[in-house]
Amino acid sequence: MNLTALQQDALVEVINIGFGRAAASLSKLTGQRVHLEVPQITMCPLDELSEHLRPMVQNEVASIHQIFSGSVAGDALLVLDEHSAAILKELLTNEPAMPLQMDASAREVLTEVGNILLNACLGSFGNLLHVQVSFSVPHLTLETLEGVVSSVTVNREGLRYALIVHAAFRLKNSSLTGYLIIVLSVASIERLIRAIEQWEGGER
Amino acid sequence: MTLSSNPPVDAGRLQTALVRWFSELTHQGMFATDCSMRIMVWNRWMEVHSGRTASDVVGRPLYDVCTDLKIRGLDQHYEDALTGRISIISFGLHKYLLPFVPTNAELGLTAMPQSGRIGPLMDGEAIIGTVTTIEDISDRLANEAELRKQIDVQRMARVTAEKAMRAKDEFLSTVSHEMRNPLNAVLGWARILIERSDVDPAVLSRAVRAIERNASALARIIDDLLDVARISTGKLRLEMHPVDLSAIALAAVDVIGPSIKAKQLELRTRLDPKTPPVLGDQQRLQQVIWNLLSNAVKFTDPGGVIDLTVTRSGADARIVVRDTGHGISQEFLPYVFERFRQSDASSSRRHGGLGLGLALVKEVVELHGGRVTAKSDGEGSGATFTIDLPTVMSADVRHPQAEVDQPGSDLAHSLAGVRVLVIDDESDSRELLTEFLSKCGAVVSTVTSSDEALSHIRMSPLPRRPHVILSDLGMPTKDGYEFMRELRALRTDDGGAIPAVAVSGYANPDDRQRALAAGYQTHVAKPIDLAELSAALARAADRG
Repeated sequence: MNLTALQQDALVEVINIGFGRAAASLSKLTGQRVHLEVPQITMCPLDELSEHLRPMVQNEVASIHQIFSGSVAGDALLVLDEHSAAILKELLTNEPAMPLQMDASAREVLTEVGNILLNACLGSFGNLLHVQVSFSVPHLTLETLEGVVSSVTVNREGLRYALIVHAAFRLKNSSLTGYLIIVLSVASIERLIRAIEQWEGGER
Repeated sequence: MTLSSNPPVDAGRLQTALVRWFSELTHQGMFATDCSMRIMVWNRWMEVHSGRTASDVVGRPLYDVCTDLKIRGLDQHYEDALTGRISIISFGLHKYLLPFVPTNAELGLTAMPQSGRIGPLMDGEAIIGTVTTIEDISDRLANEAELRKQIDVQRMARVTAEKAMRAKDEFLSTVSHEMRNPLNAVLGWARILIERSDVDPAVLSRAVRAIERNASALARIIDDLLDVARISTGKLRLEMHPVDLSAIALAAVDVIGPSIKAKQLELRTRLDPKTPPVLGDQQRLQQVIWNLLSNAVKFTDPGGVIDLTVTRSGADARIVVRDTGHGISQEFLPYVFERFRQSDASSSRRHGGLGLGLALVKEVVELHGGRVTAKSDGEGSGATFTIDLPTVMSADVRHPQAEVDQPGSDLAHSLAGVRVLVIDDESDSRELLTEFLSKCGAVVSTVTSSDEALSHIRMSPLPRRPHVILSDLGMPTKDGYEFMRELRALRTDDGGAIPAVAVSGYANPDDRQRALAAGYQTHVAKPIDLAELSAALARAADRG
């Protein structure tokens, strides 16, 4: 299953609406202009997720993980490489970064940011599908990319897909990219694509 | 009391017990509302920190009880909670959820730092209200602040270590550069001498002198390096005696004289004879003054002026070296006394040297209990170095040696009635020697050049002819050696046999040899030990 260029564009547009709101609330919270956009979305079978992510993030990563449930269910994660995570926290709070393992306050800020982004993205999907999704409490872990991938692949049955949403932050003349990974069942993906096509047809 | 196996617990009772635990015992704040945002649960922690009891707030709208929430826009998170979303209220982005009194004043915060969660209260799939948890993170913040401080300390230590490493690297390359130049000269001349079988005597003499000069330069570099090593390991030993700074300054001037002349600079000295003696190491203090003078010579262009002043300053003795040279930039001024530092560390720098001279000055001066300061109005406007040293009086130390070095009782009549002719081109030197020798009972005449001395001797009738001559070796036009050769060429009746003592700053064995060969009876090295000088003069006068 692949996304057509049109479907991709439509998804980018939908998520960008949610990200616009997320950026506005981050700007308000930090008192500085935070810009957030989606330059790209890719989709792949879950077992190819590692291959897709490896060129973009290396070594240790910080991931904020939430499980969502409702008529669409799955896993959502924000993955930042450790360096970007430290910079993002520093830019948002104006405090020098410490190694994240030692800095519970930094981990908490990143958890909040991840939560805001994941809510924005899944909220957009919810609006699109006219369904309500509810979330588990977000949880931040520091581990290798492989560790992150295996946490969403183990003990899951059935063919599943991962949407990889590139999230580009721009603030204070700096820019960095995080990756939103939304793991969905084939059925959920199909519903999402249908809804996208309808939305596209209705809007344009 | 024994714990018997309990009967199966009713799930409803267990849940009630759990809620009671959360309400009364947990160290977190917890409150819940229904969907119309009326407070339903307000736990013990909330009572303690809000100052409001559960019975006071339960049943009332949350936004009436906590008016701050709406003002700060946090009500949005409750709207979200009612649609199933969870919000994290991090300290980093919000500082606090509710404005409670701080529990740790040392953090300097106006409100208790908090970490909060706002989420939906679910009954199966249905949302029946909201739940908020609050944690006081004062301890966590204090730990993180402590950690941050430690990391900063480590980072600073690393930066300092890296800086020191860099300075050392720069220094090593400077040392090799500085040593290679004289070494190349030594090697070059040595090879010429080896390769050529028939060396012209003029070339030979040039070669040997060049080798000697460059080997001496190498020796000086090594001496400086050893001094730095000794100082940094605390092994520099000072031989402390009451010493006369003016005499030491003169000795330093004597050594630096040739380079001042070679560079066409003017050296003006003002040595106040009333400067009290200092308890110090004569050789080291001479090295200090020499270093300052040579630094001034190095950074002053031809035609410039260097002033050397030795005076009393309050209870201290003060040495000032001022030049009209390149000056020191404001940025470099604070580092001017640091080891291995030179304002221009690039490979194309114009001035040689190890960057150790001023560091040595500072270390030696401080070992003497004094201090040295540098002043400059910036590049191009010259520099002034000032050294203040505690004097024997100010230090309130009386060294037994003081009595010997000063022309005291033993010396007072050691030269009684002896006529001494002093030849020296330096007026300060002449004054100093006159002052001292007069105190020893000598009758002193002074002249400023060799020629003047020769005519003085020829013109003096026998009863007024000097018993002994004290001559400087380093003088312009006709030096002390030439003077002596001319004097010894005179007939005895004309004064050709008057005994003579040579004085020079070049304290190497060659000087002594050359002086004796020229016809001097003895040689005294600067800085002058007054007892030694008077003894030498007395012996020479006896022989005459």
